[in-house]
Amino acid sequence: MRVMRPIARLAEFALALGILVILWHLLSVRVANATLLPSPLAVALAWVELLRTDLPADIAASLVHLGVGYGAGAALGLALAILCARSAVADAIVDPAMELLRPIGAIAWIPIAIVFFGIGRGVPMFLIFYASAFPIFVNTLAGVREVDRNLIAAARMLGASPRLVVTHVVLPAAMPLVLAGARLSLGVAWAAMVAAELTGADAGLGWRIFWYQEFFAMDKVMAVILTIGVFGYLLDLALRRLQAALTRWSADTRAEAA
Amino acid sequence: MATLTTPKIEARSVSKIYVSARTGDKVEALRGVSFSMKPGEFVSIVGPSGCGKSTLLSLIAGFATPSAGEVLFDGKPIDGPDPARGVMFQDYALFPWRTVRGNVEFGPMARGVDKTRRAAIVARNIEMVGLAGFEDRYPHELSGGMRQRCALARLLANEPDMWLMDEPLAAVDLQTRVILQDELLRLWGDAGDPAQRRAVLFVTHGIDEAVYLSDRVIVLGRRPGQVKEIVDIDLPRPRIGARTAPRAAALIDHIWNLIRAEAAQAIVEEP
Amino acid sequence: MTLPLRIKAPLIFFPALLLSWECAVWLAGAAKIMPYPSGVALAAIRDIADGTLIDAIAGSLRRVITGFAVAALLGVPLGLLMGLVEPVRRALDPIVDSLRAIAPIAWIPLALLWLGIRGNAALFIVAYAAFFPFVLNTIQAVRLIDRKLVDAARALGASPLLVLRAVVVPGAVPTVMTGARIAMAFAWGSIIAAEMAIGIKVNPGGAATVGLGQLMVSTLYVKRDINGLVLYMLSIGLVSLAIDHGVRAFQRKATPWQR
Repeated sequence: MRVMRPIARLAEFALALGILVILWHLLSVRVANATLLPSPLAVALAWVELLRTDLPADIAASLVHLGVGYGAGAALGLALAILCARSAVADAIVDPAMELLRPIGAIAWIPIAIVFFGIGRGVPMFLIFYASAFPIFVNTLAGVREVDRNLIAAARMLGASPRLVVTHVVLPAAMPLVLAGARLSLGVAWAAMVAAELTGADAGLGWRIFWYQEFFAMDKVMAVILTIGVFGYLLDLALRRLQAALTRWSADTRAEAA
Repeated sequence: MATLTTPKIEARSVSKIYVSARTGDKVEALRGVSFSMKPGEFVSIVGPSGCGKSTLLSLIAGFATPSAGEVLFDGKPIDGPDPARGVMFQDYALFPWRTVRGNVEFGPMARGVDKTRRAAIVARNIEMVGLAGFEDRYPHELSGGMRQRCALARLLANEPDMWLMDEPLAAVDLQTRVILQDELLRLWGDAGDPAQRRAVLFVTHGIDEAVYLSDRVIVLGRRPGQVKEIVDIDLPRPRIGARTAPRAAALIDHIWNLIRAEAAQAIVEEP
Repeated sequence: MTLPLRIKAPLIFFPALLLSWECAVWLAGAAKIMPYPSGVALAAIRDIADGTLIDAIAGSLRRVITGFAVAALLGVPLGLLMGLVEPVRRALDPIVDSLRAIAPIAWIPLALLWLGIRGNAALFIVAYAAFFPFVLNTIQAVRLIDRKLVDAARALGASPLLVLRAVVVPGAVPTVMTGARIAMAFAWGSIIAAEMAIGIKVNPGGAATVGLGQLMVSTLYVKRDINGLVLYMLSIGLVSLAIDHGVRAFQRKATPWQR
């Protein structure tokens, strides 16, 4: 019974996917124009070819953008949140500053980033950095602030030092929100990355889309788009797993993972 | 054809087995439960956690069907919910997007009562439970006790033949609970003509509450839920104002002794 | 006079920051390559006076609203279907998830090819971005409906149709509205991205500045006006704040029973 479930689930997915592919195929036959709408087979072949040629370098470039930008952005968001939680002066300045900047989405920074960094890898890195800082900042601050006072009091009553209270009470209690923020960050960072690569970079998956468009190689364009989808999905899945593993005790996470 | 001798509710060897949709595991919630209720009788169900009290109530409400046996209402098998059997839920299940008036009005509206008569019914019932002046409040703007009264008014507005109440007082503080118990008895007709009373099936954790309110108390055992004993509460009515009769204390002790071992077991086993 | 720290600190810090920024740019003689506060203010006066800014914002907003409406019309019914019919949800979930993982802007070459540069390609990107919040939140909304409220309505004599109308729909509204708020934010973010991408790849000359994104591209590549770029950036932020306030106000009005 328990073994059957995932298989049945996979079968349902395969069926839905199959129907989608067949519809796509029929539509492409009807359109009969490989530039306007390449058939699924053409896209699959293009994908296989790209995997042997350009795609690995593009994926690597995008992952470097993401690693540098997201790492720096998450670190900054986390650091600022902890600073705000500890210092009233910092909170009074940083919090409104973040609230002012937050509505200006990462995308809006593209032209300025192009002015300062020039077309190249600085633009996507900066955009990812900017996009990922906010959700982590907001969620971490909320997580730290919403820690149940009674839990802190209980730890103090049991003889915990302030340091132990932070490492063993405040951080674990804030963890579900921090990780939720990390997932949100990754989502917006991924979208910002593609936009930045499309408009202001000379490497990466987003850049490659327009590269092939110049040649009207729409089968390859679509193969790159699908790659973006697959990697976006896998990254989110990885963070979701991490989230479930690190916050086993939280009823919320369990409900969401189920 | 319901006559004076037809029981209001008759449960005949009722069993209920739940099958978990996810794991396929089976849980036997009730086994061979039989009892009957006379019209106008106030019957409570008590038992330790996991004895199937709420399951039994939902079978009678018509939200679920028995796996074996049958439940009769006025001599007819129950199939589905019926406004004649009003239900009051544990956490009231008030519609959060409807005001007090909107909640009370829902039953008459659902039964197709016209607007002017509806307004009169609503006003009368809101008045009766003491919520006059709060008609336009949303549930989240009410205290626990007021929500409970609103749920009661919603129940009464449909003029049901019997009241099914699932731990209706569990969510309010102790003093409010005492006050609401008296109010419930008053609305039911504790001091009035027994022929005017509605049948009440009252599920509760509180043995003292069950003894104070009821004509009879059904004591259920757990895993699977089955009838241990049906205790006659031979205390005189009206009872409002007479909470501490020595006889009541003896009945409470008796019931507690029936379930204490299983209640202790339930603490360890509950997830 | 003693002001609370939360007011006093920003009141000192931000003007000081702007002032020292202004001074630093002039002292370094970097006014050609760095934006500075007074320059941005002048750009604002200029662009508001000649209508450039308002026209561009209006152009972008028009497409945002159309795309948002299309997304709602397609996303809510699909969400309802997936929320109510379990096998449909299980089958479509991974497909929706993987399509959602494709950054909307990645579709721009195909959208351009299919729909042309006259604005419909941007519209497609906006609708795509706004579609998923509607689907996901509608699914969630249907699944979160309190089973007990359905039982309560049935016990009070409600027909299945009344249960749908008086319990399921109002019960779903708040979550769908939250989805609408996210969808609106996504839509606004992606219209700018789409217009910029179209501007850069198709029309860098900026002859037809039909939206804020195109305006930014022509300002970047033709006018090379860095203060203008900062102004447009701030405008994007202001509009998104205004949009969010608007949607929130509507949400409060539409669901007065919410805390």
